[in-house]
Amino acid sequence: MISAPVLEFATVGLGLLLLLIEAFATTLPRRTIAFAGILGLLAVFVATFFVATPPPNGGFWNFYTADPLALFFKRFAIITTILVLLMMIDYAPVVRAFVHGATTEAGVGEFYALPIFTCAGLMWMASAIDFIMIFVSLELVTVSFYVLVGFMRRNAASLEAGVKYLILSAVSTGFLVYGITWIFGVTGETNLARVASAVIAGVDRGPALFGMALVLVALGFKIAAVPFQIWVPDVYQGAPTPVTAFLSVGSKAAGFVVLLRVLAPFFMLPEVQRLLVGIAVLTLIYGNLAALPQNNLKRLLAYSSIAHAGYLLIGVVAFAGNAIAFYLVAYLLMTILSFAVLVVVSQTGGDSIENFDGLSRRSPFLAFAMLIAMASLAGVPFTAGFFGKFFVFDAAIRQHHIALAAIGVITVACGFYYYFKVVRAMYWEAPVANTAIPVSALTRVAMVALMIAIVVLGVYPTPVLNALR
Amino acid sequence: MVTLGDYLVVSGLLFTIGFAGVMLRRNIIIIFMSLELMLNAANLSLVAFSRARLGPNGLPDYNAQVFVFFIITVAAAEVAVGLAIIVALYRARQTTHVEDISTLKF
Repeated sequence: MISAPVLEFATVGLGLLLLLIEAFATTLPRRTIAFAGILGLLAVFVATFFVATPPPNGGFWNFYTADPLALFFKRFAIITTILVLLMMIDYAPVVRAFVHGATTEAGVGEFYALPIFTCAGLMWMASAIDFIMIFVSLELVTVSFYVLVGFMRRNAASLEAGVKYLILSAVSTGFLVYGITWIFGVTGETNLARVASAVIAGVDRGPALFGMALVLVALGFKIAAVPFQIWVPDVYQGAPTPVTAFLSVGSKAAGFVVLLRVLAPFFMLPEVQRLLVGIAVLTLIYGNLAALPQNNLKRLLAYSSIAHAGYLLIGVVAFAGNAIAFYLVAYLLMTILSFAVLVVVSQTGGDSIENFDGLSRRSPFLAFAMLIAMASLAGVPFTAGFFGKFFVFDAAIRQHHIALAAIGVITVACGFYYYFKVVRAMYWEAPVANTAIPVSALTRVAMVALMIAIVVLGVYPTPVLNALR
Repeated sequence: MVTLGDYLVVSGLLFTIGFAGVMLRRNIIIIFMSLELMLNAANLSLVAFSRARLGPNGLPDYNAQVFVFFIITVAAAEVAVGLAIIVALYRARQTTHVEDISTLKF
């Protein structure tokens, strides 16, 4: 049995070790660093199953918890990072082309090492129950994402995405700390449980709500909710594709964990509920409508990620932790799968939907993987995406948010149109070329595993639903 | 006598000036300076709140003051990475104006 914080320290140690290997073992093939990272993360993943029950509160445990929710999202972060690292191995040629250095391999090693620090940040965030801890771990994630988004220094789009992400993310940080300041000012506490008891005991509502609204702005930015979504399409399009996938899954999941934890003390206030319903409705409508005319697949997935934030927000309004956790797992599987196919296909052309024309005849395997991913994103029955939406709507109806659930169902129909635009291009258009697209064996295995997971969870969702109990 | 309210007004002003600077200015370096102003507004009000809440032993609440140190450290890290990205942008484009950064359509 190990103490829970050891997991994060091991992850940070792994990242530092990989950076040292990168710096000193100059002749080592860079790919080895990625494999070492994946193996190290797998070891940490196994270790999450042997975590000792934490002692009752006191000292360090006022900042940090190892409850089932935290452990669940630690595993979530590790799996996401492993899949992103696999994608990065496929993406390395593009990075090499846009980072110039003393050798052709310059920069690739850091590209493999940085996600591990992000992963450590995500894991800490899953456990954070104090505003100070939340702030610091959120910043560990954000600062490492700054570097990753703008990583391709000679690529105009990547740099521009980096600058935009930097500025807008820093603004959201400003809102977060200022909001925390006010919550601290009213309650005199930074620990979430004690903030909750202070709010129940009765506090000055005006300043408390003001602080909470500012914190909601900052978290809305992280989860890409309307009206704080302006950065999403540009940053998603410009960033290196594996980083886009990481942003859309990791950053969003972390945002929702923090949202669930932070909202708990304030949830009984009707103003907060109304605010959340408003944001959810706007996010659902904007994300789905803006995705309709997109022709660039990365941009389409960016708007789709906004739309999914809307469905997840329905779960938040109903405060259904299990439904949100299941949705995030389904979202992880289908988003990573679609980005993995995109990484492979885009290297033969570009990110547009036209590059997928006739893919079913060029590479039936890739086309089928994309079909599964798109069907699940749209919410076709017998895929994980269907149950994700089902549980969220179900929770909303139980809480008598009928109108919200109705808007959700209508926007799902809208989603079918743009997801099946990709499917139509793959199966009904004439191919742009006749050459098959090469897929490495490792990527193939990962894609098959993701497809199986999507279908299995679409038929038998119980294991994930029970993981939180 | 300077009261808690006075400090909060100053910190609110700092935050507003910082946010207005981010929204209105067009030079990325100035935008970055305004961002620091927003963080410092939070620092000021945290210290003010901490001084205003003297504990039973007459000492201020140190939670907030520790938080200030964390904010200062994180802000420094953010500046280090942020300026590096801005320098890379300047090398590629010879500009730090936001109007010139429009490869990706909004």
